[in-house]
Amino acid sequence: MTTLALIYKFLIQILPAIQITLIISVASIILGGLLGVALTRAKLSPHWWWRAIANVYISVIRATPAIIMIFVVYYGLPFLIKGWFHVSIEGWNRMYFVIIALTLLFSAPVAEIFRSAYLAVPAGQKEAALMVGMSPWQAFSRITLPQTFVIALPNLANAIINLLKEGALTFTIGVVDMVAKAQMIVSNNSGGFAFETYGALALIYWVISLAIDKLVSLVESSFQKKRQAIQP
Amino acid sequence: MLTIKNLTKSYGPQQILKGIDFQVNQGDVITLIGPSGSGKTTLLRTITTLEKGDGGTIDFAGVQGELAHLSKNDIRTIRQNVGFVFQNYNLFNNKTTLQNVTEGLVVAHKIPKAQAKTIALAALKKVGMADYVDHYPSQLSGGQAQRVGIARAIALKPQVIFFDEPTSALDPELVGEVLKVMRQLAEEGATMVVITHQMNFARNVANKVVFMADGQVVEAGSPTDIFDHPQVPRTQQFLAEILSNV
Repeated sequence: MTTLALIYKFLIQILPAIQITLIISVASIILGGLLGVALTRAKLSPHWWWRAIANVYISVIRATPAIIMIFVVYYGLPFLIKGWFHVSIEGWNRMYFVIIALTLLFSAPVAEIFRSAYLAVPAGQKEAALMVGMSPWQAFSRITLPQTFVIALPNLANAIINLLKEGALTFTIGVVDMVAKAQMIVSNNSGGFAFETYGALALIYWVISLAIDKLVSLVESSFQKKRQAIQP
Repeated sequence: MLTIKNLTKSYGPQQILKGIDFQVNQGDVITLIGPSGSGKTTLLRTITTLEKGDGGTIDFAGVQGELAHLSKNDIRTIRQNVGFVFQNYNLFNNKTTLQNVTEGLVVAHKIPKAQAKTIALAALKKVGMADYVDHYPSQLSGGQAQRVGIARAIALKPQVIFFDEPTSALDPELVGEVLKVMRQLAEEGATMVVITHQMNFARNVANKVVFMADGQVVEAGSPTDIFDHPQVPRTQQFLAEILSNV
């Protein structure tokens, strides 16, 4: 068989495991996004202790390599939970540990991205909303937040692609995702066709990243005219 | 209609407003003039609760109280009864011209959408922007944007509209179209408080001119009083400077 045919063959074998990768990524994006928003709120708080907590958390998380985070959560969390609440979570589906680790990892860049995007929305937008009689919440949700989101989009896409790649470490604690599947194929072939197998895997990641990029630039261009300031 | 007494406001160690008394009556068109840094903008922003006053009282729209201790409800009441036109327009960048005007009507004032649209179209027509309803702010010129800003304010039928240097950010050739709209509003009896450096507007449209310097009201009176017979040396000096530049 030619190399291309082999890559195609392995691709078909790996592809079903994409489900695990997608579940983990989407769950981490949603949970990490929410945690990131909470952190943004803390970082913009007028109270210094909220800011301090958020800053320490973010600097610690950002300094933690993904693989260490996954190990710390997988080996450390059951231990902590047992000590504090006397509940055993060792029997949990291992996917949950990955999701927790990636959620923590994703929340830090998201907080930074949202904070700088929020600050990039001119203060006058909120003031104008307040002056037409909106409550602070209405001003935020209808005027400031949509603009924050549009500004944050490109960086958010980068963070999502990073998360996707960090998720490739899922196999290290024994979850059968695409990487684990590829490893199995290689060992079934006694170490043969490793290039074709991992090549197929790389191809899948490339296509997903490309899709995210494309999607974001589509959304972005549809918002383009809404985010520009007025020419004087 | 609106009475402010003994308003004080500081940023850090610097006192911006040093005990201002300010009154607006129904139908007044008041222009606030004075050198930059004199506290004009801060005065407007404090009256409209965009900034919190340190001291002083307000009596407006049924709210009577200390500016430093207004309840959330009081603040909301004040904001729902004033209109504000910003120097930099501050149109909602993520909304069309029409939405910029309907947004406050629908969201804040709970007016049904169809009715809000009718009100908004009438307001936009009045400022000559009815042909631009689907444009986003980024597609408008400064003068057009500011006219939408005025439409957004008048659509809410506020008791008084505050203008914070509405033409200062505009190219000179665009100033006229905005002033024309403001003049028309004044003629229709709208109550307006306008910070401006357009002395012709202050002289010809206003019924009252207030000259501020260093956080205080130095002199106030009819345009004739202020422009032709200023009593205080500080006023005379300011007018001499500004009129010699024209």
